[in-house]
Amino acid sequence: MNNDAVSQPMSAGAAPDRGRRAKLSAVGASIVVLGLLPVFVNSAYTLHIFILTFIYVIVAVSLRTITTSGQFPLAQGAFMGVGAYAAGMASRWLGWSCWITIPSAALFTAALGILIGYPFSRLRTLYYAMGSLFFGLGVVQIIYALGDWTGGYSGFTGVHPIFTGSKVPYYYFSLGLAVVCSAALYRFEFSRIGQNLKAIHQSHEVASSVGINEAWYRVMVVGVGCFFAGLAGACYAHYNLVISAASFNLGATLGLFMGVLVGGIGSFAGPIIGTFILTLFPEFFRDLKIYSPLVSAAILLIAVYLFPQGLVGLPRIMWSWYVGRGKREKVVQAS
Amino acid sequence: MGQALAATTNVLILSSMYILVALGFALLFSMLGLLNFAHGAVYTIGGYIGYQFAVRMGLNPWTSLFLATVIVAAFGAFLEKFCFRPFVGDFNRIVMVSVAITTILQTLVNIWEAGEVLTLPPFVTGVFKFGRFAVSYHRMVTFVVGALLLGIASWFVSRTRWGQQMQAISQNMEAASLQGINVHRISNLAFALGCALATIAGCLMGAYLQLSPFMGDTMFTKVLILVILAGVGSIGGIFVTGLLLGGLDVLLPLMMRGSFSDAIAVVIVVVLLLFKPKGFFGHEA
Repeated sequence: MNNDAVSQPMSAGAAPDRGRRAKLSAVGASIVVLGLLPVFVNSAYTLHIFILTFIYVIVAVSLRTITTSGQFPLAQGAFMGVGAYAAGMASRWLGWSCWITIPSAALFTAALGILIGYPFSRLRTLYYAMGSLFFGLGVVQIIYALGDWTGGYSGFTGVHPIFTGSKVPYYYFSLGLAVVCSAALYRFEFSRIGQNLKAIHQSHEVASSVGINEAWYRVMVVGVGCFFAGLAGACYAHYNLVISAASFNLGATLGLFMGVLVGGIGSFAGPIIGTFILTLFPEFFRDLKIYSPLVSAAILLIAVYLFPQGLVGLPRIMWSWYVGRGKREKVVQAS
Repeated sequence: MGQALAATTNVLILSSMYILVALGFALLFSMLGLLNFAHGAVYTIGGYIGYQFAVRMGLNPWTSLFLATVIVAAFGAFLEKFCFRPFVGDFNRIVMVSVAITTILQTLVNIWEAGEVLTLPPFVTGVFKFGRFAVSYHRMVTFVVGALLLGIASWFVSRTRWGQQMQAISQNMEAASLQGINVHRISNLAFALGCALATIAGCLMGAYLQLSPFMGDTMFTKVLILVILAGVGSIGGIFVTGLLLGGLDVLLPLMMRGSFSDAIAVVIVVVLLLFKPKGFFGHEA
């Protein structure tokens, strides 16, 4: 019995049916719980926090999708800003309806991502991270510099809302969008394209020797990631109505990246779990005021020292503690 | 003419401060591939510790500079041993640790000084007059101290035994270790040295301009630009890119609106990176 229990979490791939059913029911249960939340919670502030979390989940998942190809994009926050400003400016200056601005802002961000991704695709690992980081800095500085159109340092106002009145429609809209986007990116990751990306991550030389066009795939995944970042940014603009470049700077990008890492970069659920923890957990400690950033720092340090695979590994670690204790007792008995 | 002189001294002072902070970061980046996002926060905390000694405790500015440097260097050695050494080579966890440290240090500054913008007292007072030109002694001292430290640091890295061991590690860590170089001790030393240089720059800039809790963010982006443009492993290249960046930062705002000049400086860097992704002077292929 013990042997069976030890091998069970390790061989999750060997018995896909049981693991898959458990995962599917966990996903279904959390969607149902989140869907029922507005029925029981009336606080506008709580709903606001959840709406923002859903939007950030989309960006974090898209960031992780790019990292599956072995690139570290440190510009995802800036791309979210591109989407937000594109949608906001189309809404205010051109008077477009939000159902046109959101998809077109997403497409615009994807096009920009491909345009930038192409020259950057010859940079690898750390150099790619640095190149995208400087691009992100450039986006923020350009938004500040074009103050006549973007509002500059004082922020951009005058975006038209999607829904008026209560926050509940926004809640369901962003929840639905997060679920749809995550499902789409999940399908993407486990499609043939996603497998090719993972092959490029493991060894770009071997991948290109078997006929995978490395540069094309790397540019393409950046385009896909930027599409979803732009989509989330556009929704953010239409929800928040006031946008400022400061919320898309390097700190924002690093915050998204922290969500991915705390949850676990190796697993699809990682960015979702990590973003939820990093945005919701500090809210419980809001009374600490000036000390509250220490809570997120503590979460980061705990994750770094105790969970090398991210918090996704927590159930597995607890299971092995449980099993390990049983095993030790048995050894003691035998000796 | 007077404006040209002022601009030149500004370029020299800013560049020497950028290079001082960048030197420590570049040493660790080339030795261990360590991307320390907390280096800007160390620079900030250095300035604020100097302020604690100089203003709160009323010590002589030079004494407080020395005390702050020693304290932050010890703190740097501690950080290297317990926060960075276990994760060297793991990009993700290094980024996590350094973001956590940045958050903690910035929060500490907010708790101490309520996030206020402060100024350190000048190290020397008085104005140097030469005909029609006048330069305050304070600015001259800032530049001289910066230049002197840069000279000492580059002499240390290129001539002394420990500095040459650092260079050996940055060329090939395993081979250096096989030659009997204690990689851990040398990287500990390099980290302490980098933190000390950042603290001195923080105190000098705190007296030259001002202290703010977010001054580290601006400085850190400058440092990254410097180090990446110079190329990994190039100490001499940092001096060139430092002067270039200092020049851009002082001269561009004279020609156009402030926000435009920032944007153009970053755009120039991105374009340069597209043509020279490995920097100008890097030795790594």
